[in-house]
Amino acid sequence: MTSGSLIAKEQAPIQPRKDPPKRGLSRKHREWIAAALFLTPDLIGLFIFLGIPMLMSLLLGFFSADGFGNFTFVGFGNYVQMFSDAQFMNSLRTTLLYIVAFVPGLFITSLLLALLVKQKIPFVGVLRSMFFVPNVISLVVVGFVWKFILIDKIGLLNQILQSAGISGISWLGDPNLALWSVIAITIWFSMGYYMIIFLAGLQEISPEFYEASMLDGANAWQTFWKVTWPLLRPTSFFVLLVSLVSAVAGSQGFDLIYVMTRGGPANATELGIFYIYEQAFQFNNYGYAAAMASFVVAILLVATIIMFAVTKGGSFESD
Amino acid sequence: MSLTDRAVETRSSHGSASRSGFTRLHPKKWLLFFVTALLAVLTVFPLLWMLSSSFKGLNDVNSLSLIPAAPTLANFVYVFTEVPFLTYMFNSFFVATVVTVGALFFHSMAAYALSWLRFPGRNVIFLAIFSTFLVSLPVILVPLFILAKFLGLLNNFGGLIIPALFNAFGIFLLRQFYLGIPKELGEAATLDGCNYWQTYWHLILPLSRPVLSALAVFFFLANWNSFLWPLTITNDQNLWMVQIGIANFQNQYAGSWNYIMAASVVAAIPTLMLFFFFQRQLVTSIKASGFK
Amino acid sequence: MDAEQSLSHAIEKTSLSRRSFMKRTGAAGLATLSAASIPAFLSACGSSGGGGSSSTLSFWQFYGPGGTVKGQSQWFVDLAAAWNKQNKTQVKLQYVPTNDYISGSKLQTAFASGQGPDIFLLSPGDFLRYYNGGVLQDLTPYIDSTAQQDLVAGVMGTRMVNGKIYGVPMEVEPMAFYYSVDAFDKAGLNENDIPTTWEGLLELGAKLKTSKRYGITFETGPGYYQNFTWYPFMWQGGGDAVDSTTKKSGFNSPGAIQALQFWQDAVKRGIAPRTLQGTGGGDIIANLVGGYTAIQNTGIWSVADLKANAPDFKYGVFKLPVPTGGTYKTVAGGWAFVANARGSNPEEAAKFCAWALASMQPDSIQRGVDWISKVKSDVGPRTSVMDKATQDGAFSTGALKTFKEDVFPGARGEPRYPAPVYKAISDAIQACMLNGANPAQQAATAAQAIDTYLASYSGAPIL
Repeated sequence: MTSGSLIAKEQAPIQPRKDPPKRGLSRKHREWIAAALFLTPDLIGLFIFLGIPMLMSLLLGFFSADGFGNFTFVGFGNYVQMFSDAQFMNSLRTTLLYIVAFVPGLFITSLLLALLVKQKIPFVGVLRSMFFVPNVISLVVVGFVWKFILIDKIGLLNQILQSAGISGISWLGDPNLALWSVIAITIWFSMGYYMIIFLAGLQEISPEFYEASMLDGANAWQTFWKVTWPLLRPTSFFVLLVSLVSAVAGSQGFDLIYVMTRGGPANATELGIFYIYEQAFQFNNYGYAAAMASFVVAILLVATIIMFAVTKGGSFESD
Repeated sequence: MSLTDRAVETRSSHGSASRSGFTRLHPKKWLLFFVTALLAVLTVFPLLWMLSSSFKGLNDVNSLSLIPAAPTLANFVYVFTEVPFLTYMFNSFFVATVVTVGALFFHSMAAYALSWLRFPGRNVIFLAIFSTFLVSLPVILVPLFILAKFLGLLNNFGGLIIPALFNAFGIFLLRQFYLGIPKELGEAATLDGCNYWQTYWHLILPLSRPVLSALAVFFFLANWNSFLWPLTITNDQNLWMVQIGIANFQNQYAGSWNYIMAASVVAAIPTLMLFFFFQRQLVTSIKASGFK
Repeated sequence: MDAEQSLSHAIEKTSLSRRSFMKRTGAAGLATLSAASIPAFLSACGSSGGGGSSSTLSFWQFYGPGGTVKGQSQWFVDLAAAWNKQNKTQVKLQYVPTNDYISGSKLQTAFASGQGPDIFLLSPGDFLRYYNGGVLQDLTPYIDSTAQQDLVAGVMGTRMVNGKIYGVPMEVEPMAFYYSVDAFDKAGLNENDIPTTWEGLLELGAKLKTSKRYGITFETGPGYYQNFTWYPFMWQGGGDAVDSTTKKSGFNSPGAIQALQFWQDAVKRGIAPRTLQGTGGGDIIANLVGGYTAIQNTGIWSVADLKANAPDFKYGVFKLPVPTGGTYKTVAGGWAFVANARGSNPEEAAKFCAWALASMQPDSIQRGVDWISKVKSDVGPRTSVMDKATQDGAFSTGALKTFKEDVFPGARGEPRYPAPVYKAISDAIQACMLNGANPAQQAATAAQAIDTYLASYSGAPIL
């Protein structure tokens, strides 16, 4: 089968350009139209199902809403309130700590795993699957099984420590430890996921680069820094940004904290998103919660724009 | 790369290496293998309790012992007979499959435009798309619910599927990968008379197979395990998905942990199998070898 | 290799992989196909939203199939069936997984978008949120005066505003201590060693703790439930979170401070743990039966859990000990049926609540008896129900006898504190118990937060 016949047979659902270039439409304009058509389905969907709710939420931030249909316009009242809300400020501080440990921790762990399972070693498929397993387990169960290891006194870790003469450590019940325990579990949970992303990124690097590096007499360490690291930048950028957002906006972190500590002990694991959720669904302060959420999104957006600007849109190229 | 080349590469790297392949392994690789295997065992270790608990009775389920005192299959029988767990699994499977296929298609199209095509406002549009990634579901749950009600998406598969199709994660990931595909390939395609659609369909899509495989697993997993949104919009128990079924085993003050564990083991199998098969795609380097 | 060559190379390669890609994913064609057929699914929606139509009442509750005790979900099914047989307006049960019902978002989201259920279950801790939101229907007109007298006053307080009834309780659940007979035996103790004072309890706990077991457990996780279990210790010394007469916080008081200190001491001395097994402090199978603790602070519901899931486990129950100079108090929780005033048919919904749990008809009384003594282990919220259950022998032996005779007489209904009051107290408990904070300081901070909130509060009385 030749490639020509394949193309001819193809019945494309959307064809930006069916026939030879129309007169009067420059290549540039055709490219614009094609881009618009390629983007349309996603843009419409994202606008309806994420854009509109986000705008509604932004708007709600200027109201006091009790969740039973009673609204009062309060202007910037909610925004003023949040800066004098010690709980909210505390939750942002906790979030910052969380980011500082979680993002680099996850990055290094998952990159290392990806480098390991990229090698041609026996049973690599099984090994990859084993690293990925935590992701497919429901979070309630994750919380439950980790208690076997971390529970006070009789947990596996404490029993091991006890035989070494150390006792009385409460991994999830001590405010100085709980956040780090939760972060470690979240990294354990997420690393297989990000490992896959890194693995896909590593596969994108053409083998020729490695061959050339080998010919130059570089060792594995030098090859990593000269070839892998620079060529992996788009992927690394992706992982950094996505893990940063997921640390702030919640996703796994939120659910895991919910099952492990519920924000305790003594608010030690109360992340910003957790506090926002609590304000909305337990305190019925929907307007206030929306304002805080908008504030957090705004911070993230600024951080994102800066990161994109510095990295030239995540492509690291002069385009 | 020829078909045979790839077959060989796939085989040796996904692990079913032949005996001779084993013995020919370099000592360094053996060391690497043992280190990786040790880490992998440590990773799954906590989950052994899940497995063992699924064979324990309720009074035994909280014991630290990894070996059930009286192993039983009763939990699995209970899960499938007392609640319509198969229905939940079918719902999850249906929703996850449709969302995965649809989302891969839409997102790869969008990512192609954002990475390969030049048009005014490209970066602004990309940033706008990315900004939708910055909110998590709980934050927009109420407005989204109201919207879903308005669109008639409550209590039906449409509501489970359509909103789940759209997320910036996939677009962003694919865009990052498309940026790495040599532009020369595209220029060659244009010279060969390919239009944009053909370039996308015959060049970009096949070249992005590794990342599409990864995304397929991610999307399937996310939807198979989704909880909050399905719970919020469905009142009909026939529309429940797997995670709601599992949550259902928890009471106010006590959980039937033996059932929860059994149900979770069952629920984990499809995604794990999917992962195992798709991860092979990640090793086939389909970068234009020799192209430079 | 020139560009043209490389392209044919690339296409050749891609056509191969493209085919396999198509095969694997079933192709994007499926995606467009399903997108086209999606409207077909939408037709299922109709009027089946949370609110339901006027001839159907939706009843949200959290006793679903697959729970630990099967009879509980059956009780609801029978209840709905009995009503549906006698009435044109049909009640449709809607089950919400427990955790989400209690602390999740489904119920909230439904109400926030005007899709709240017609009938639902409500605990005292949540009462004011819904009452002040204006969604609770007055049930008084549908309950005849004999039945109103029949409802136990102490239980009804937190379900009433200005003498009107807004919720009919289905159960009363007081708190006590459970102990493991086996643990007592091994420590050379018996029921004569049951403590009556806080100091005695701590001493006993110290004797019972081993290298593998704690002496006593209190709830450790923050939340409404932890507050609920802690309140009686505050009340016993005369403390209170909100003084109903002055409308000021009574939290900065010796009673509250010593209760904070009490829990702190238990943890500091290694008698009580910082985290719990299983679902938490109310989970007796995971903690007491599991051997994690010798004494557990939990409620009357644990009797049914033990009966269903650990019938051979030997245990005893005793009422909460008191501080020096204190008076015995315990707290009694429990859920109530309420009707949505903004639902599709509030009057029918109210009628249903009254018919189900607050009618003098024998079937209504029997329903209450079944719930508290057959499928659960609770105290009844009505005199008639308690009499009937006692007659049937539900409280004649064992733990339930202790609950009825010793524990319940000092019970006060779970308070209905609004969320900010709850949160201030919760922070104080958490800081003292798990972070070694100074109880006096924490009590002062919490009292200030409560006072600030009360100054601008304008809802129904906080009890």
